[in-house]
Amino acid sequence: MRPDDRQYLPSHEWVKIDAQIATIGITDFAVNELCSGNEGDLVYCDLPELGRLVGAGETFGEIESVKAVSDLNSPVAGEIIEVNPEIEDHLEILSDDPWNRGWLIKIKVSGESSTSLVDLAAYEELVAEKE
Amino acid sequence: METWRQITTWGAPPEFNMGLDGALLEDVDAPPTLRFYTWTPAALSLGYFQRFDDVPAASDAFVVVRRVTGGGAIHHANELTFSITASAKHSLFQGPIPRSYERIHELIAQALSRFGCDPAMRGDSELSSDISDTGMCFHHSTSLDLAWGGRKGVGSAQRRRKERVLHHGSIKLGPSQYDTGVAELEGSTDPAELARVIAEVFRESAKIQLTAGVPSPSERESAALLGQKSLDPDFIKRR
Repeated sequence: MRPDDRQYLPSHEWVKIDAQIATIGITDFAVNELCSGNEGDLVYCDLPELGRLVGAGETFGEIESVKAVSDLNSPVAGEIIEVNPEIEDHLEILSDDPWNRGWLIKIKVSGESSTSLVDLAAYEELVAEKE
Repeated sequence: METWRQITTWGAPPEFNMGLDGALLEDVDAPPTLRFYTWTPAALSLGYFQRFDDVPAASDAFVVVRRVTGGGAIHHANELTFSITASAKHSLFQGPIPRSYERIHELIAQALSRFGCDPAMRGDSELSSDISDTGMCFHHSTSLDLAWGGRKGVGSAQRRRKERVLHHGSIKLGPSQYDTGVAELEGSTDPAELARVIAEVFRESAKIQLTAGVPSPSERESAALLGQKSLDPDFIKRR
């Protein structure tokens, strides 16, 4: 069950904003696209340094799976204030719990959000078209 | 029948090869493109996330570049290299990444089988070409890799952006000092002949008609910048 307390990008990142702090991760659909259920295929995730500024829609990191490097895109603009310290050594968290323990970064929001963000219902429709 | 652009560049410098593939990935308006190329001089390419020190051959090779695609290192000598760049929405690239490799490998396997070998995805079988601690792509196989004679025969990797995907492939046509013990096409296969047959399979099986083309002026400009980055010591030793 995908949570309805956040917004989604068509590139399969999610964002949950609370008091101008955006928590960002990737969806279960994204994880399946990356590794088709074989979490051992996820080999590396490169997350940004603290203090870096990102724009809405810009790449904030990269993840490698099955010899494919994929971009991670930010749904909001702002400053990176926290990265999940568990992810790099425990990529299986992304499969096990993409919505909570699998968060990737936190951003102090300081600008517009991506105009591509959609709510859960629209995201479910988008994913259904791909399945 | 779709129409794609085919760009063929024999014996180009390593930085041109990497730069042009990068340019084809970045230009979201570029037509879908199948590239065939060889390298002069021979060069070793590191995977995007590889540590330089995890690849012993990188300290020994004459020229080293870093790719934007993942996977392990490849010594580009006596091989045909190809790249496929198209929209992320193209049927070759849609869906889970493993399925994308399967679709492309099915086409490449068809082409290779016309040269007398019997390529198939490795599955659960063991390969004699798997060698620990070299960091070389051909010495580390996955279930989706194409192999024949118990050895890995095609190196593959991808880079995925929001709107576009780049797929890299390498097929050995002869020995390489670092990619030892891997499958090669038998006989003295000419890279141009192998490229011709791959293009034929794309037309027959994927319904993709290839039209000979060249990089646009903006692609050349972008390729020059990205090519320099692929050679930049800071980029090569970033990890």
